[in-house]
Formats: sequence, C-alpha cells, structure tokens
Amino acid sequence: MKFSDETLKAYLEGNANVAEAAAIEAAVETDPALEQRLMGLDPLAPVVHSVFENIPADAPQIELPESVPVYAAQTSGGLWRLMAVAASVAVVAVSATFWATRPEPMGWAEQAAIYQSLYSPDTIASLDSSPAALDAQFAQAEAQLGRSLNQDALEVLPGLELKRAQILSFKGKPLIQVVFADDQGQPLAFCVIRQGEGAPAKDVKLAAISGVATATWAQDGYGYMLIGSSEQTDLQQQLDILTATFAG
Amino acid sequence: MSVLTPRVRSVESKHTQVAIYSMSPEINSEQAVRGAIQTHSKRVWRFGLALSGASDVADDLLQSTCVRALERHHQVTSLERLDSWLMTICRSIWLNEVRARSVRKAQALSVTPEAELIATGPDSETNIFAAEVFTQVMQLPEAQRETVMLVFVEGYSYRETAALLEVPIGTIMSRLSNARQKLKNVMQHDAADAVRRSGK
Repeated sequence: MKFSDETLKAYLEGNANVAEAAAIEAAVETDPALEQRLMGLDPLAPVVHSVFENIPADAPQIELPESVPVYAAQTSGGLWRLMAVAASVAVVAVSATFWATRPEPMGWAEQAAIYQSLYSPDTIASLDSSPAALDAQFAQAEAQLGRSLNQDALEVLPGLELKRAQILSFKGKPLIQVVFADDQGQPLAFCVIRQGEGAPAKDVKLAAISGVATATWAQDGYGYMLIGSSEQTDLQQQLDILTATFAG
Repeated sequence: MSVLTPRVRSVESKHTQVAIYSMSPEINSEQAVRGAIQTHSKRVWRFGLALSGASDVADDLLQSTCVRALERHHQVTSLERLDSWLMTICRSIWLNEVRARSVRKAQALSVTPEAELIATGPDSETNIFAAEVFTQVMQLPEAQRETVMLVFVEGYSYRETAALLEVPIGTIMSRLSNARQKLKNVMQHDAADAVRRSGK
C-alpha cells in the first residue's frame, strides 16, 4: 500500500484514524523504505535531537583496566568433543526407538530438523543470496522475531556461505530458518524461535534427529538450533561462535 | 567442475579472512572494544541518563558498561555495530543490577530534572524551550523514554531499536506515538511563542 506524505504526517501528529494508523504500523514492519520516510517526516525527532545532542557537554570520565581478566572461560574443546561424540553415539542409538514409540506431539526442534533433512544441495544452489536480498530477508525476519539475528556474524561463520533467511511458523510462533552452504554445497541451517518471556533456559544439547546432527539451546525467551547436513556434521566451531553471539 | 569454481574460490577467500582474523582475535577485538568505548562514551552516558534519570547513575552505568564490555571483548564477532552492543550491555546492567536501587532516586529527580545539563547560550528563550523539552522527555515513562532516546537522539531505526530492546517493531511505534502525544503540548506552546514573537 502507498501512503502519501500527508497521511504519514497526520499519523505522526496523532491525527490519523485508527485504521490508517494500524495500516501504517503494519506496513512499516515489512517495508524499511517506508520506515525511513516516516522517520524523516517526524517533526519531533530534530527537536529532541537538538536538545540532547550536546549532553553531556564533555566526554565522560572512564577508568579502564590496562589488561582485562579472561571472562567466563570457554568450554574446553577436548572435553566438549568427547561429550559430543558420546552424545551423538548414544542419541543415534536411542533416537530410533524414541521416535517409534513417542506418543506426544513433536516440538519445534524436531519439526525443524525433519524439514531441514529434506534439503539437498539443489534446494539451495539457486537461491538469490545477493546482499540486497539477504538484507531484506533479515530485516523481515528480525521484525517478525523481535530481536537481532546478528547478520554480520552469520555472514562470516567459518566454512559456511550464507544463503537465505526464511520466516516459518510453529504453533503461531515465528520461527526463522537461516540456511548456509558448506564448502561442498551441502545445506546447513540455524533456526531461532521466539518462545516468549518465561520460557525456560536450556543448555546446549546435541542430538541426531531425522538423520542430521543438531544442537539446541534456549535462553531469554528464544530457542536456538543449529542443524548439520548429515549425522556426521561437526557443528562445534560454528556452535562456539553462535552460543557466544546469541548470549543474552 | 568449472561451474563450481567461483563458489570454491569464495569459500576459500572466506576461510582466509577468518584465518587472518583468528590469528590474533584477542588483540583485535580488545582494541576494537577500547576504540568503541572512546567513540561512543557520550551516547552510552546519555542512554544511561535516559534509563536512570540521574547523571550520577549514568556515570556509574557508563563505567560498568565499559568494564563489562572489555571483559567480554572475545564475544565480539563483528567489528560493526559495537555501539548497539554497548547500549545493550548498558541496559542489561541497568535492568539487572542498578534499577531496583535507583528508581526511588530517579522519581525524586524527575520532579526537578537536572536543568544544568542544558548548555546555556545567549538566547534565553531557546534555553527555556530546551529545558522544557528536556523535562518533558525525562518525565516520560521509562519504556517511552528509552525508545525516544534511541530513535530521536541516537538515530537508530525502528527495527534496530526493536532488536536492541527485544520488543516487536509495533511496540516501538506505539511507544513513540504515545510519547509524541505527551510532547505535543510543548511543541504547540513553542509554536504559539514563535507566532507571538513574530507578531510583536
């Protein structure tokens, strides 16, 4: 939908009717260009900016330590790898019987793993992963999700090429699937779901689901999942980066 | 095979970049964080003021934010957007560690806001107006105040602000609408003054 400058100004001055205001707010969620226009027309922004821009007048004093202590030592690689091997061996063995006998409905992670396991190199070979396409996809996905997806960090994950961010949904909750290609062109994915405030935090759990290696964790109302292209995919290097990037 | 070559090359170059970066990640990210602290200290202080409503609390928040950021410099995976990372740390410290003991103080201050923070210039009418805007902004509810600060003063887009505050973009827009309604009176007052001045 197109909005005239007059309509946008009326909205900014509180003079738009309820339906117009709702239409503008809904359109901004998926239209960064409209958002920029609206911000540019806001009569209050330059006034408030000019009042606060010179506060504080002088650069504030900060005392920084010369050298910094190492904070929250990373999980030991050796131990972690051992646990990963043990976990994947155990889980592969267990998951077959688990799935055969499981009566309750599947959770989002299982659904996502099954969906991802249907991906082949051909699925992602022809995706448009130009910077413009990715920026637009991330803007929409972040608007749905209500948090940053740290696109900059996802673009430089070691050994992975960013292909696409896609909005999915699980039981009414936004579920974002970010797809990567490894150096063989095999598809991997990183998924984030908004679970809502009060959802329990969960430590990283490794599992092979539907024939693919996965790592899931949850924190601050969001669930995260990294999905490999096969049961043998070593997710550790990317997992270290993602758990640090999406901490808090 | 020749069809595959471009992708292989792009992956190789990506590997190379990562390898160069990871040769001395400690030095790079620590230096980047120290640089960001110097560059953005005023913005973080100002955000601390918007959150807490008190300049001494803003001093403490800035100090704690910078120390915390340095401790966590290894978490930095991108050297861009360190400003919003610092803002996020500042807000997290405010919410988790400082807010409870500062709220009573901030309420007391909101009655007599720190007008001395406004730079004094030769035009007293401008100063009075600036002080009025400052007072009105600082008297907004905290959620509206932090949103106004990030969008109007620091220039973050609605979606960047939504990501930083971890709320939907619609919430950002409705907070701004509510804040505009409350600040409208100041603006109208100012417009009326301007008309009166031009008429005399």
